[in-house]
Amino acid sequence: MPYKQIVNELAVLVGLSLVMAFTVNFVSPNGIALFGRWDTSKGVISPMSKNDALADGIEISDAGVIKSLFDQHNALFVDARATHLYDERHIKGAVSLPVHQFDDYIDDFFSHYTPDRLIITYCSGRECTDSHRLAQYLEDAGYEHVRIYIDGISGWEAEGYPVE
Amino acid sequence: MYGFTLTAFPDGKRRGIPLNSGIAHSLYHDNRIELLARWILGGIFIYASIDKIIAPDHFAKIIYGYYLFPEYSINLIAITLPYLEMVSGVAMIAGIYPRSAGIILGILLLLFSIAISINLIRGVEFDCGCFSVDEPGYLLTAKQLLVRDILLLMLSIYLVVFPGERRWCLKETGSIFKDR
Repeated sequence: MPYKQIVNELAVLVGLSLVMAFTVNFVSPNGIALFGRWDTSKGVISPMSKNDALADGIEISDAGVIKSLFDQHNALFVDARATHLYDERHIKGAVSLPVHQFDDYIDDFFSHYTPDRLIITYCSGRECTDSHRLAQYLEDAGYEHVRIYIDGISGWEAEGYPVE
Repeated sequence: MYGFTLTAFPDGKRRGIPLNSGIAHSLYHDNRIELLARWILGGIFIYASIDKIIAPDHFAKIIYGYYLFPEYSINLIAITLPYLEMVSGVAMIAGIYPRSAGIILGILLLLFSIAISINLIRGVEFDCGCFSVDEPGYLLTAKQLLVRDILLLMLSIYLVVFPGERRWCLKETGSIFKDR
C-alpha cells in the first residue's frame, strides 16, 4: 500500500479544506465563533454568531425576578413558539406571537400594545433561541423595553408557576 | 461456480479475483461505472455541503442536537466539516486524488453511520442536517439515514479500491493498494 503518497494526498485535501473553512468563516458575515456556548447551565445555547441577537443584558434567568415581574402585572409575556404549542400550554396571561410568522402577526400586535410596554419573550427553554429572535424583531419594530426569559415554559413549569 | 481464485497479475503479485468473473468482474473493472460512481458521490457531497456553508450557525445547532460531541468541538465541526465535504466532492468529480477523496468521504460516512446508530439505539430524536439545515419537513427516519449512509459508504470503498485506469481525471494516482 503506498502509504506515503496517500498521506501526502490526504494532507493536501484536508489542508485545503481547513484553510478554506477558517478563511471563509473569518470573512463571512454568517461566520460563527470558534467556540460556542453549548452548556445550558451557563445560559441559552448558541454558536455565538457574529450577527447573533443574543444580548446578555436583557436576559432574565432568575426565577425570583421573573415571578416578581409576573406578579406586578405590568409586563406582557409573549410566547415565541408556534401557535399549537402556545395553545397546548403557556404562561398564564401570555400572548402568542410566533417568531416564524412574525410578519403576519406584528401589525395586529402593534395595534394592541404600545412601544413603551415592558415585554418579556420566552420559548421552550435554554435549547431554543426563538425568544431571542423575537426580542430582536420586536426591538427592530420599535419596542423599547424588551427582555427575554431564557428558561422558557419548561423553567416556568418547573418552578410551579401558573400556566393555562 | 462461486468463490475466489488467486491469479497472477502483470506486476507479478497474486491476487484473488472472483471465479464467476463475468458481469461482476466487468462491472468492477469498468471505468465508466467508476466515473459514474465518482460523479454521484461527489455530487451528493457538494450538494450536502452548500446549506451548511451558508448557515454554519444552524448546522452547529444540529450537531449539538446529536448530544454526542464535547462542547468545545461543536463550532469547529460546524466550520470545517462542510468544507471537507465540498473539497472532497469536487476532487471526486474532477478526478483529483480520487482515492484519497474516497478515503475522506468514507471516513465521514463511517462516522455519520456511527453517530446515527448511537442515537437510534438511545432513541434520541434528531434532525440529521444531512442536506439542508432549514427544511423542517425534511426529516428522514434514522433507519433510512443509516441505510443511505451505508450504501454511500460502500460506494466510497469501491472508489478507493478501484483497480483500473480511471477516466477523466486531472490527477489520478491509482487505488489504495497501488500507485499509478
